[in-house]
Amino acid sequence: MRTEYLRPIDGLRLAEKYRALLRPNENEAGANHTVHRLPRFFYEIGSWEEAHEIRLVPHFTLAELMLVDCREARLLLSQFPHYVPCAILLLARFLEDFRREVDAPVFISANGGYRSPAHEIGGAKSIHAWGTAANVYRVGDTFLSDARSIEKYRTIAMSLSPVVFVRPYGREKGQTNDHLHIDLGYAKLTPRECSEAS
Amino acid sequence: MLSVDVSNGLHEELEALAFRNKVRAIGVALHDLETGFRFSLRGDRWFHAASTIKVAVLLAVFRAADEGRFHLNDSLHVRNRFFSAADRVLFRVSQDRDATPELYANIGRTAKISALAHAMICGSSNLASNLLLDFVGVEYARTILQKAEVYGVELRRGVEDHDAHERGINNEATADGLLSLLSAIRGDFLTPESKREVIRILLEQRFNSMIPAGLPPHATVAHKTGEISTACHDIGIVYLPEREPYIVAILTEFNPETDGRRETVAAISDAIYRSLLRTEPKSNED
Repeated sequence: MRTEYLRPIDGLRLAEKYRALLRPNENEAGANHTVHRLPRFFYEIGSWEEAHEIRLVPHFTLAELMLVDCREARLLLSQFPHYVPCAILLLARFLEDFRREVDAPVFISANGGYRSPAHEIGGAKSIHAWGTAANVYRVGDTFLSDARSIEKYRTIAMSLSPVVFVRPYGREKGQTNDHLHIDLGYAKLTPRECSEAS
Repeated sequence: MLSVDVSNGLHEELEALAFRNKVRAIGVALHDLETGFRFSLRGDRWFHAASTIKVAVLLAVFRAADEGRFHLNDSLHVRNRFFSAADRVLFRVSQDRDATPELYANIGRTAKISALAHAMICGSSNLASNLLLDFVGVEYARTILQKAEVYGVELRRGVEDHDAHERGINNEATADGLLSLLSAIRGDFLTPESKREVIRILLEQRFNSMIPAGLPPHATVAHKTGEISTACHDIGIVYLPEREPYIVAILTEFNPETDGRRETVAAISDAIYRSLLRTEPKSNED
């Protein structure tokens, strides 16, 4: 695991232009009157080369979990450093377990890992803004675009931990039909060297 | 007087050609930038636009880039998942019917917007077209057509949207409308850089059996074809080294079983070229 490049930072100490987009530690209203606090601690990534170098677990690099398209805020898209919530480590750990279970390469789609609260798809309402969700579009040679494949891998993913949620196949809101959405809930991670005092 | 002569002769020749080749409906619009001559044969008749509508999407994409909404070098998530304009039901485009199957290898990953624009026009990729239209939005694209004063092009949905087709929601165009679309591209609606790039993309068209096939080898054509079961179209800007270009839109409709449709469009292109340059018909007797 190559993680020597990982530099944890407190999002509350970032420059205003980043705080406006990442909204560290801010509350975000969810469904059914729930409120969730957005991530506060991030890893600072200096370049795409770094992101490719950082192997979070044996089969996943950080780059795979932070690839977004141009629906991301311009500042977070085209300039480095980039910031990803520290909980991305938990997601990578789960994906490694999942990969071992399915015994095949697991492919994460673009916009399918961490997306900032400023991303046009879902924004802060999406659990992807916590860095704890992954959209898997392919397992081995199988593209997950039908009920059979999505339900098969959904069952496997959900068997690995009670904390895991996987969306069912379907065309309605909350369902998926061209990928497997896996998430670990609104988990946050505070690196031991960081203080949560304001 | 010269224009009237050309117009009358061309009108008669195209009508005769359409009759001989069992064309069910024909619409032709022409603007010669060398002489200013304009010609329209049922230019206001509406046709299913088929893939010529992709030129309208191209205009909207480049205009959006000019407005700073995104950069052409930006990447877009490639998904084969679209929603019908009829009822928002999900549909996918068929790889078998797409002339750029290589784009399907990018599903799940990203492709540059400029590469998608190229695939949409040069290979007439339905996947690229729907991705780009989905991205800029149908309403935005329609607004751009209005701003460009392009009338006679009705963009209502993406391609291969069969539910919408069954409910009569189709992309439609007239020859006059598509001529004005190409004129907008050639005019100052886009920045000079975008205009150059759009025309370069149209010049790299891979399907050349219609307008270009009716022209001498030294002609180059920035164009887009469109074919469905009954429609066979080609619209383009014809460049000849000895003169200013002319813009032409040739729209035809046939019964589904009729053969020789592309050849007919090529023959119309040949007739237009000869009428503008006052040359003799091609001979098959050599």
